[in-house]
Amino acid sequence: MHVKNLFSMLSVRCGSLGLMLGAGIGVVACGGGSARSAPATSATSSPADDETTADLTEHHRYHHHGGITLFIAMSLDTLGVSPEQQAGVERIRRDLYARMEPARAAEQNLTATLANGIATGSVDTAAVDAALAQLVVAAAAVQAASAVPLNDLHALLTPPERVALVDKVQAHWAVWQKANADQAGAVQTEGDYFTRLATDLGLTAEQVGRIRAGLADESKAAPPFDPQEVSTVLVAFGDAFRGDHFDAVAFTTARGANAHMVGWAAAHMAHFLEAVSPVLTADQRANLAQRLSEHASHNPSAEASP
Amino acid sequence: MSRVKQTRIVRSVACAFALGVTVVGTAGCGMEVGADYPAGYYGDYPSDAYIATTEPFYYGGYPTYWYGGHWYYRNGGRWGRYDREPAGLYQRRMAGAPRQHAYERGRSGGHFGGNAGRAGGRR
Repeated sequence: MHVKNLFSMLSVRCGSLGLMLGAGIGVVACGGGSARSAPATSATSSPADDETTADLTEHHRYHHHGGITLFIAMSLDTLGVSPEQQAGVERIRRDLYARMEPARAAEQNLTATLANGIATGSVDTAAVDAALAQLVVAAAAVQAASAVPLNDLHALLTPPERVALVDKVQAHWAVWQKANADQAGAVQTEGDYFTRLATDLGLTAEQVGRIRAGLADESKAAPPFDPQEVSTVLVAFGDAFRGDHFDAVAFTTARGANAHMVGWAAAHMAHFLEAVSPVLTADQRANLAQRLSEHASHNPSAEASP
Repeated sequence: MSRVKQTRIVRSVACAFALGVTVVGTAGCGMEVGADYPAGYYGDYPSDAYIATTEPFYYGGYPTYWYGGHWYYRNGGRWGRYDREPAGLYQRRMAGAPRQHAYERGRSGGHFGGNAGRAGGRR
């Protein structure tokens, strides 16, 4: 090989080596900033999270009426859209709540019926059953009624905002499941709904034991719930909503999932309160009835999203 | 080897080295250039309740949440974390806490620390 060519080749190889070395150092330096992936579902809580979780859990314990559509409407409260999009998102949010109004009114009737029964120490089970049936019918109609604003929402949002919305819907579903977990189980975690309620009402250990025994009996009569049905619908919704083309009308399975979820949760709440009520003192009943009445009168659609 | 040739090789290596650092640093770390995070925070990806009730910032094409002393973003159905705080997000954080929505009474605020993290609850 000619000496000149040798030098040229050496120069190129050394240049390549320098390029690789420089790139390597760049990558190493960048390594501290690279993303660490973690499972999509969150697994932890911090002390700072506890009140946030308790607040949302309390809400999902008593407000089910819109099912998945309610999760979507709630997600709009903190989607963080641009000022240019804000008016459009608020219009859609109000439209969604308007279309859920029959279900909200039915749920309000159920909660008020339970509150009255607890206040008087005698829950009218026939009236509760009638209110439950009315709620299930109304909840089943929510999905079809919400198709137009959901399609409008998809058209209005940017791809990252759609991703954020799907995340929030999934997060609401995760919190909802914890809020409505079976209270009859022997294993209770610190801060779960029943533990907090027991603290709030000042229940004695003897009262807690009697309520748990009552819940175990009630759970045998309660309708079964399959969260997988809702999870499947939410996965399909998420996949479609993140995409460029979305049609809410196609989600016919959401109708059954909504009715299933809302009906089970409302019945579960009624069974829970019917088991709790006979064990309470008059003061505790008044306290719980007041709490229920506040939930019954709580109307999120009346609150503007800033 | 002549002195001229040696100089040329050294220059070549040095230029390529600089080019490599620049290209990778710019393209790969474009979103990562920024200050170290403040010390004393815990670190884990956001809880469900936090995601459900807190406004994200949109940065680099992702919804991004400040949580536990780090910025987390969603990428392909998984959480990613910026191990160093990007300059753009640092500026957003300094501009104010993300808004949180309280659905019931007795709410507490966000994660920027102290009252800076509080967000107006409504009910």
